[in-house]
Amino acid sequence: MSDDDSTVLSVRDYSLDYATREGPVRALREINLSIMRGRTLGLVGESGSGKSSLAWSILRALPPNARELGGTIRLLGEDLRQRTRREIAAIRGARIGIVFQDPSTSLNPTLTLGAQIAEVLVRHRGLARKEALAEGERLLARTGIARPADMMRRYPHQASGGEKQRVVIATAFACNPECIIFDEPTTALDIITARQILDLFAELQRETQVAALYISHDLALVARVADEVAVIDQGVIVEQAPAAALFAAPRGEYTKALLAAVPDPRRRLVNAPPDIDAPPVFSVNRLCVRYGQTSALMRLLGRAATPVAALTDIGFSLRRGEILGIVGESGSGKSTLARAIVGLEGFAGEIRLGEDSFSARPLLDRAYRRAVQIVFQNPDASLNPRQRVGDILARPLKLYGLARGADIASRVAALLTDVRLPPDFAGRYPHQLSGGEKQRVAIARAFAAEPRIVICDEITSSLDVSVQAVVVRLLLDLRARTGASCLFVTHDLNLVRQIAHRIAVLYRGDLVDLFEVDAFDVAGRHPYTRALLEAVPIPVAS
Amino acid sequence: MPELLRHPAGVAGTLLLAILAVAVVAGPVLAPYDPQAFHTLARLQGPSLPYWLGTDQFGRDLLSRVLQGARATVLFGVGATLGGVAAGSLIGVTAGVLGGWVDSVIMRLLDGLLAVPDLLLTLLIVTVLAGGGGHAMLAVAVAFTPGLARIARSAVLSVRTREFVQAAVARGEGRGYIIVREVLPNAIGPLIIEATIRVSFAIMIGATLGFLGLGAQPPSTEWGLMIAEARQYMFRNPWCVVVPGVAIAISALGFNLTGDALRDLLDPRLRHAAAR
Repeated sequence: MSDDDSTVLSVRDYSLDYATREGPVRALREINLSIMRGRTLGLVGESGSGKSSLAWSILRALPPNARELGGTIRLLGEDLRQRTRREIAAIRGARIGIVFQDPSTSLNPTLTLGAQIAEVLVRHRGLARKEALAEGERLLARTGIARPADMMRRYPHQASGGEKQRVVIATAFACNPECIIFDEPTTALDIITARQILDLFAELQRETQVAALYISHDLALVARVADEVAVIDQGVIVEQAPAAALFAAPRGEYTKALLAAVPDPRRRLVNAPPDIDAPPVFSVNRLCVRYGQTSALMRLLGRAATPVAALTDIGFSLRRGEILGIVGESGSGKSTLARAIVGLEGFAGEIRLGEDSFSARPLLDRAYRRAVQIVFQNPDASLNPRQRVGDILARPLKLYGLARGADIASRVAALLTDVRLPPDFAGRYPHQLSGGEKQRVAIARAFAAEPRIVICDEITSSLDVSVQAVVVRLLLDLRARTGASCLFVTHDLNLVRQIAHRIAVLYRGDLVDLFEVDAFDVAGRHPYTRALLEAVPIPVAS
Repeated sequence: MPELLRHPAGVAGTLLLAILAVAVVAGPVLAPYDPQAFHTLARLQGPSLPYWLGTDQFGRDLLSRVLQGARATVLFGVGATLGGVAAGSLIGVTAGVLGGWVDSVIMRLLDGLLAVPDLLLTLLIVTVLAGGGGHAMLAVAVAFTPGLARIARSAVLSVRTREFVQAAVARGEGRGYIIVREVLPNAIGPLIIEATIRVSFAIMIGATLGFLGLGAQPPSTEWGLMIAEARQYMFRNPWCVVVPGVAIAISALGFNLTGDALRDLLDPRLRHAAAR
């Protein structure tokens, strides 16, 4: 790997620390990478691996407590570290572009989208405002926006997430930069939109021959977009190879572990099918949820709000030990479904648990609430920060009268052991635990109630890939031992195909498809299911 | 606490409060003279060896009086604030937890009260109740209630939607458990901060009421009253106004700085900024 004429960006022996009150924290060590014209380098790492720090280093936008320990960052041979602040300002946006994860935070909400593109063109390409607006329109058209003139006049809140990301991408490409950094550009987007953005990226890159640094935590995704992949772990690049070679034959232990943790639908984690003849343990019939209550004052004034249907006529059943995957995009109603089932949303229709039937939220009694437990997406939010882990786990035991006195402590210890945490974690507070450990506590709390149904609402989406795999295995293990059924709400289609027996697809509040997991690919699936399926890359065989 | 001592405003505030605490606890013991004793030969004097901070129009030792007065003044400030916090959090938590029309009615009433300045409201209540230390304290507590209720309510609202509270609701926990064990411990932070800052306002309002003759009555050594009594002699001996005035400033500043520091330390977003 030597720098030649076609090398656009090259980082050599670059090291970085952050100064903190507890002393220096290592961020990057001896980073070496280079990107040629027209090529894409994928940088893959988990949270805290230093991948974003590297992006900030290249953009010369490090926080004040960053300490660079040496090395060079060259753009077409010139060392960016030697440039003054003013020179960098002229380079950034003009010669190095950036596309961030969340388009709703990278756009200014008080300016029209057109004004934001035009500003870059006026500043870096010296166009007059009128020319800039015309050029902006042309650029938007290139990103596949249907009516660019109309889009130019809109404010960010008047555009969808996908449209906004297209605008950000158009801005990044506006000055024909030599290099563009993509920092998780599709993570905040829906599955199908993400796929379209990815296609757009590939097309524009082919067209402009820009050198791209594509940062992501998602190995499967990087496999599709990058020519070469660098895996970064704890500030060190542990492996760098052409994409195909890296996925076919990973050399490093860390890369192997990371690849093994990527959900792959061809590797089933659950085999035994549930007993098909047994009566369902749980079912919902014609379940509806509506949002938009009229406040007392408004009712007094005779102004009723029109309710919005979040879920319409949902029906399905669960057999003992069955895992039903619920998939859909954001806003499809999948979280609302989870919340309604655990009694956090008012509903119409019927929920059946065994022999008992419930037709409204206030009727859900303590026996029902004990039998149906939920694990939330974000363990930082779902555990009370002021309670010790022991108290958190003891609460369901006390509430449902499952243990008394000295038994409580031993049950808590057993629960912790069940989720492979040391029993002395009972004395800790949630903030002393890592994200994965917290999620294991949340799972232990759900299983403490000895439930018949466990609702998992996106329980893996805030976790790193390797931690995800551990948490999922743990859940499957507990489910197998207790015989609980599971409603697994997720947007990760590869994961759900690994573990679910059946899959339900929600689209705008309707259940559009429900099928055995083997029948995912067969003809006759709902078109939306097909669209979802086609949008998700299956990881390259490892 | 150790973090408080690493914050610049925290150090200053804690230091000032420490001085105040010494005066409150040991003031009467440390006082070199009886605060009510007349030294008729040494009236309206500036600082001197026998009278470190000078004397007032009756020849009473200012140092002894200001030390004696710390207890009444601080007690007034803390008492009035605690009263306001108690009433305010009761009302605010009720509104936040019950929601619906109860919330609407309570909040519209509080909005109305908030439109009236604290001091004006206090004066109104004190006038209705007739003056005196106890009534003045009650009046300040009542005047503080709407503001503190608002803060309590918004703290409760922001905690109520957090997932651990949702988890408790999903578990089928009773309302009492959810409020006391899940919501309040996480909502108390903003209230503590606001209360600390408000003690300094209460002290100043108390001093104002004392000055206007609506609060503590002579021969109390409450600092506002000390200033009121000495104001005719202000130009002959500024010390008899300056000494209690500085004492009020020190205590108000102490509570204010500590409150600011607490706000920075309890807000994780400001935490890093403060550390730098």
